[in-house]
Amino acid sequence: MTDGPSLGDLLALPFMQRALLGGLLTGALGGLLGSFAVLRQLSFFSDALGHSALLGITLGILLGLNPTLVLIPFAVLFALVVSRLVEHSRLPTDALLNIIYSSSLAIAVVALSFVRIYKGGIHQLLFGDILGISWLDLVLIVGLLLTALAYLGLTRRDQILLTLDEPLALSRGVSVPLHRLLFIVLLAVVVAISIKAVGVLLISAFVVIPACASRLVSRHFNGYVALASGLGGICAVLGLLVSGAFDLPSGPCVVIVQLIGFLAALALAAQPSTGNEAS
Amino acid sequence: MAEMVLEVSDLTVRREGGTAVEGVSFALAAESDTALVGPNGAGKSTLVQAILGILPHQGGGVRLLGRPLGPRGQLPPSVRAQLAYLPQTFAVRNRCPLSVAEFVGLGWDPPGLQLPWRGSERRRRAVEKALAKTGCTDLADRLVSELSGGQTKRVLLAFCVVRPRRLLVLDEAQAGLDSQAAEQFYGLLFDLRRSEGWTILQVSHDLEMVRRTCDGVLCLNRSLRCWGPPDHALSSAQLERVYGRGYVPYHHHHGGHPSR
Repeated sequence: MTDGPSLGDLLALPFMQRALLGGLLTGALGGLLGSFAVLRQLSFFSDALGHSALLGITLGILLGLNPTLVLIPFAVLFALVVSRLVEHSRLPTDALLNIIYSSSLAIAVVALSFVRIYKGGIHQLLFGDILGISWLDLVLIVGLLLTALAYLGLTRRDQILLTLDEPLALSRGVSVPLHRLLFIVLLAVVVAISIKAVGVLLISAFVVIPACASRLVSRHFNGYVALASGLGGICAVLGLLVSGAFDLPSGPCVVIVQLIGFLAALALAAQPSTGNEAS
Repeated sequence: MAEMVLEVSDLTVRREGGTAVEGVSFALAAESDTALVGPNGAGKSTLVQAILGILPHQGGGVRLLGRPLGPRGQLPPSVRAQLAYLPQTFAVRNRCPLSVAEFVGLGWDPPGLQLPWRGSERRRRAVEKALAKTGCTDLADRLVSELSGGQTKRVLLAFCVVRPRRLLVLDEAQAGLDSQAAEQFYGLLFDLRRSEGWTILQVSHDLEMVRRTCDGVLCLNRSLRCWGPPDHALSSAQLERVYGRGYVPYHHHHGGHPSR
């Protein structure tokens, strides 16, 4: 362990304040979207999206543009194309996603090896960097969180029915294709924006682990979504603090804290239930 | 003349390159109970899903409560709110953490954008009433994914009864139920049909039950082979036309189904 600055010193640093705020908001966003994504079996999709994002970042570097701004349209386009491919392909979804993300990752890593300025930064891209969160990122995250809350809140009935059973949702007049598309786009943007803090290799954990932990202990849907979001935010803040205090990569620290939260939920869920069991 | 709740004219539905349902025409009068029967692969589920707009149709038309259904299932929300559907299989995806009361509340919520907290008190009262009507009050806080087959069907009926409906479409409601659970389910459905004034269209393989409880039968094998009262539609000659020569109808022995 290194002799790093105290927690108080860290919290006084503007970049750390930005990182913590960004982590809190992206964690909450990841938990919010993840609570629906996990139930809709989109966990692997977010993983593939995260890995492929490196290609988007590489494109941004090659074009000399802000990688975040390039990454958002790239992720949206990628999500839309992959959704179409999955819908129309005869291959199993997980196999198709595997081909796409490993190819994108390979192309991106080879392309990055030609960009001298980023050679040292690949570690940060892969595992996240708390120093990387800028004011622009924070503005984007706040806007995205408000958009996600408004969209999911106003269409709550449609979102739950769609998550539960598509034919039942269609019979109730839910625009299933439209909501599926909008959700995928939202998820893609959240993944794109969260990558700076967590890194491309671990981004799916941001979406998946808080939602899974919440699912283990939740008995109501509203509570499930709120807990997933809260856990996402809290784990991100704790992980970033550990990362800052011990000079460790931020993404893995957040994911390890999430894992601890998940294990706690697992232990809690294993407790004998006081409720009635199904007959 | 009785009001027509559902009018289907020359309906054609294509799926995966083939024609699943062809040139089907019939109409259901208000408060009638009609069964849709036919062999496996006859297009029964496809037909009911096309009627509700779950699947698109490629020819002909459907009118629900006098309003035309769009080719991709478009229907005015006020009409849509008066329809209910019980799917053949309702496997709650990935143990979705949804309580029974929350699920029934989704049946009450009107279509479209809505503030989450709007009408929460009215929704709560409607849910309580629906759970009481279907004998599900003690299940209110249970997870939908934890319910047994019989409990799930009753909760689905609560989802339907939480708001006034005109047409109830059931796709093999007895699937997955043992004879006792099927008995209880049909008893409840029969009571609710009378008290709520529902018009029912139900896909069924249980010809014994159909003969006892329904006042109309549609025999489908891609196209409509016959349509009429059970005594006529379920005669040996008609069944051979639908199921093929040598068909012996499978009888469930539920004994005490309510009769028409």
